[in-house]
This record gives sequence, C-alpha cells and structure tokens, in this order.
Amino acid sequence: MKRKSELVVPLLFLAAAPLVVYSVQRVFLQTPNERTMGTAFKIFFFHVPMGWLCMLMAVISGVAAGVQLRRRSRTAGAVALAAAEIGFLGGLGVLLTGPIWGHATWGTPWTGDARQVTTALLWLVIAAYLLLRHFGQHASERLAAALAIFGAVNVPLIYYAVKLWKTTHPTTGVVAKLPPEMWATFWPGLSALLLVSFGLFAIRARQLVLVGELDEAYVRLEDSRA
Amino acid sequence: MLHLAPVRLLRQSLLLLRSELRQELRDLELVLTSTFFTLVVLGMFYLSFAALEKKHTLPAVPGLLWLTVAFVGTITLTRAFDREREADTLRALLAAPVERLAIYVAKAGSTLLVLLVCCALLVPGLASMFPAGQVFWDMPLETVALVVLGCLGYVAIGTLFAAGLAGGGGKNMLLAVILYPVTTPVLMFALVTTRALLDKNPNLPSYLGQMAALDVILLGLGALLFEPVLVGAAPARTAQAARQHARQSLRAAGREEPR
Amino acid sequence: MTPIALPVLITGLAFEAAPAPADNGDYEPAVGTSREEKEILASLEDKAAAKTASDYQHIVWAYGILWALFAAYGLFLWRRSARLRADVDALRRELDRPAARGGPGA
Repeated sequence: MKRKSELVVPLLFLAAAPLVVYSVQRVFLQTPNERTMGTAFKIFFFHVPMGWLCMLMAVISGVAAGVQLRRRSRTAGAVALAAAEIGFLGGLGVLLTGPIWGHATWGTPWTGDARQVTTALLWLVIAAYLLLRHFGQHASERLAAALAIFGAVNVPLIYYAVKLWKTTHPTTGVVAKLPPEMWATFWPGLSALLLVSFGLFAIRARQLVLVGELDEAYVRLEDSRA
Repeated sequence: MLHLAPVRLLRQSLLLLRSELRQELRDLELVLTSTFFTLVVLGMFYLSFAALEKKHTLPAVPGLLWLTVAFVGTITLTRAFDREREADTLRALLAAPVERLAIYVAKAGSTLLVLLVCCALLVPGLASMFPAGQVFWDMPLETVALVVLGCLGYVAIGTLFAAGLAGGGGKNMLLAVILYPVTTPVLMFALVTTRALLDKNPNLPSYLGQMAALDVILLGLGALLFEPVLVGAAPARTAQAARQHARQSLRAAGREEPR
Repeated sequence: MTPIALPVLITGLAFEAAPAPADNGDYEPAVGTSREEKEILASLEDKAAAKTASDYQHIVWAYGILWALFAAYGLFLWRRSARLRADVDALRRELDRPAARGGPGA
C-alpha cells in the first residue's frame, strides 16, 4: 500500500518531463506568431492553464474541506491545504503573467475584465485560507475548512457579480478563435503543467499527513513518559 | 405546545434573540461603540471626499456606504463574540439543549439589528453629505430594502466566521483577514444595486431580487456549516470527557423535552 | 521620387482634373490613398509587425516568473521534507533511548 503510493510521484514527474520539453519547444520554435499579438501571444500557452489550475485546485480544496468537516478526516484536511497552496501558486502565476500579456497587447496591464477581477478575488480567498491555516490555532482548522468551501462557492457568484458590475465599465475581448495549430500547442502545455502540479500536490499532501502523524507520535511519547 | 422541528427552532431562536437583546439593552455596549464608529467613519469620509463634484460622487456613494458597513460589521462581530469568549458563554450555550441553528439565527439577528441601527445613521448621513445621495430620501422603501438585504447577506457570513474564531481563542486580527475576501460577492451585489438605485434604473426590483436570492444562498450555507465548524472549534477534549459531556447533555435534553 | 511614381502621379492628377462623368446619380467620385500614403502605411505596418514578432521582453519575463514560482515552491517542499526527515530521526532516537519505559508503538 505504502510502496504503491510512493511510486505515484516519480511516475507523474516521469510522464511530465518529456511533455514539458515537447511543449516548450512547440511554444517557442514551432507555433507561428499570432498575427496581431506577435510573440507576446506565446504567454497564452502557460497563462491560461495556470488559470485553470487555480480554479481546479480551489474546487478540490473546497470539496476536500467538505469531506474534512463531515468525516473529521485529517487526510482530507491535508489534501485541502495542499490543494490551496498549489491554487495559490497558480493564481499568482496568472495574476503576474496576465498584466505582462496585457501590457504587450492592450498597452495596459489591467483592464478590469470580469475574469481578471474574479481570479484576483478568488486568489484573495485562497490567501486568507492559507493565513488562517498557518496562523490560526489548531481549533480553527474547521473554520478554515468552511472558508475553503465558501471560496469554492464564491467563484461563480463573484464572476456573475463582476459581470453585473462591469455593465458600467468598458469590456475587452481576450482571445479570438484559435487556429488548430495553436490548440495543438496548448494541450501538451496544459497536461505538462497539470502533471507537474499534481506531483507537487501529492508530495505536499503526504508531507502534511506526515506532520500530523508526527505530532501525534510526539504527544503519545510524552504521554507514555509522563 | 407544538413540537415540530421548525416551530421549536423558531421558538428557541426568538428566546435566544430576546436574551441577546436584553443583555445588550443593559449597557448598550455594541450599539454605542458601533454607532460611534459609524460616525467617525462618516466624518473621515466627509473630510476626504467633500470636495468631490456631483458627478464624481455618484459612483463614490455606493462604495462609501458598503465599505462603512464592512468596517462596522467587522467591529461589531468582533466585539459581540469577544464578549462571549470573556465569559466563556459560547461553550455553555453549545452545551445547552438548544438547536445549534437557533444560536446562529439569534446571533445573526442581533448583529443584524446593530448593523441596521448604524445604517439608520449612515444612510441619512451620506444622503445629506453628498448630493448624489439625495435619491436615498426620494426612494425610502427601496433604500430600506437594499440596506436590509445587503446587511443580511453580510451578517449571514460574518456570524459563521466570527463564531468560529471565537471558539478558537485569540487571533481576532484574522477575522478581518477572512471577512473581507469572503464577503466580496455580497458587497459587490450591494454595490451594483446601490448604483442602480442612484441611477434610478428601472431594473432595480430585479437587482433587489438577485440580492435576496444571494442572501438565501449565504444563509443556507452559513446555517449548514455553523454546527460542524463550531462544534469542532471547541478546544479538543479527551475522548472520555467528550463522552461524559455527551451523556450529560443528553440527560439535560431528556429532562427538557417531554414537557 | 522614383521614375515610376511620376507617371502614376500624373495619371492621378489627370484623373482628378478630368471632368466628372454625367452626374445622374450612378457615380460617386473615386476616393483613394495616394502612393506615398500607401508606402508610409506599409512601412509602418512592417515596423509594427517586426516589433510584435521580436518582442521577446514580455515572454522572457512571463516565463521567467512562472518557472521561478514553480522552482521556489519546489525548493520550499524540499526544505520542508528535509526538516521533516530530521524530525522523524529525532523521534526515532528518542524512542531508542534506553530510559524509555515502553514508548508508543511507532
């Protein structure tokens, strides 16, 4: 059982390695420049998957937090925290690369597009969750779970709210229809990113479970010595 | 006496709410501190934004209104649950034979009342300070509906997280850290609706309806999560003490029920 | 001015000078871009295209940040696991101490 689970991470990274190389060479060497955005368009191939990664991890974190609350499972708590950390990373990636791309193509780093604002707000919720897990006492772990659930539920609400709010602001189209060779570059990049992230996610989740077990072992040791 | 679950829940909620209000009326601590804070914030806003031209106050007023609600809400919730923690009454309440949901409803209700008292100062204040706020006087019913719906949504989330942190001991700084990101959807809906009100948008009723729907979602989520969060947030006890405690509360509930 | 441009210009002038055909509503006077304008436009377009096609600054920054983020997280994980391993070793040493009267079953 333990042996098998230990194999997962190396397998994930092993599968990711050729995909990373392949997608990078496709992005930089094979895919033609997009007509109006030029080289800056190449940011798209990792920017958009990072956004998806952030959303996906927020949802995983919310679901795991729900399981944690229902079953009082420590493993689920570890999974929720690990997912939130990766989601934080993905969100940071999107929020940093987005303005770079925007600066290159629209001439302005921030347009206040509904997707941008939604991602930023979601990222804030994830950051609040991490702060609470890190600085709250042990007892606030369940509260943090509630926060993760709220974060996941908030995503569509925020998106809708921002759309409403935008009715008074100018809107900007982000990407027009993509030609097939762009998609052929997009999928390997997405899968490479997901594989690497899930590998990191698995490592982190197992670390967190181990931390919990270690704490427990120390407590039992103290008890037995007392 | 009827013993249907909803009726019992309602009765218990009202009972708890009445006791909350009685406690508040004894020294008016929450109302006085929160209204004072509202006035201070209003004064600060006046000093900062009195020079704005009329066309610029139109988009500013909704922001001022709901930012103040967010500030005052955080203060009120912090203070309300600090009080519980000082006397350790929250745990006593959780051990008492009442529905946990009733505790949530009562706490949310009393906080909502305090917030509404503050809004009774805040909205007329904004309306008289900024010319764009004149609409608040012209459409009082819509304004009241807007304020009640916005505050209700805020309180629905705020009560859950404030109660959860109160069980955890210390770290009140975290409440603001949690509340601001989590309440953004309500506050954004409220902003949009306030803007519609100020613009005299004919779609105002549908905006208000959306806010009501959001409130229902948030209240449902808050009520659903209140018990698991709070019961878990009580300091970890040994299994033995927990079993003993459960037996006691069962016995207490048994004494209470078959009246 | 290039040798070809002159005749073109002259024809253009001739067209402009020519009297408009009988105006019975069928014709509109032709409006076009002059050759110079076309050339300026084309050179501008070339310049803009060259600029977007060789704009490496943005992608270097973007990919640099992305990979740096992942590398930083990987480093963080690595250090964490090193510390964890040290903790586990410490626990094991504690358990092996002869003074221990029946440690926990770890």
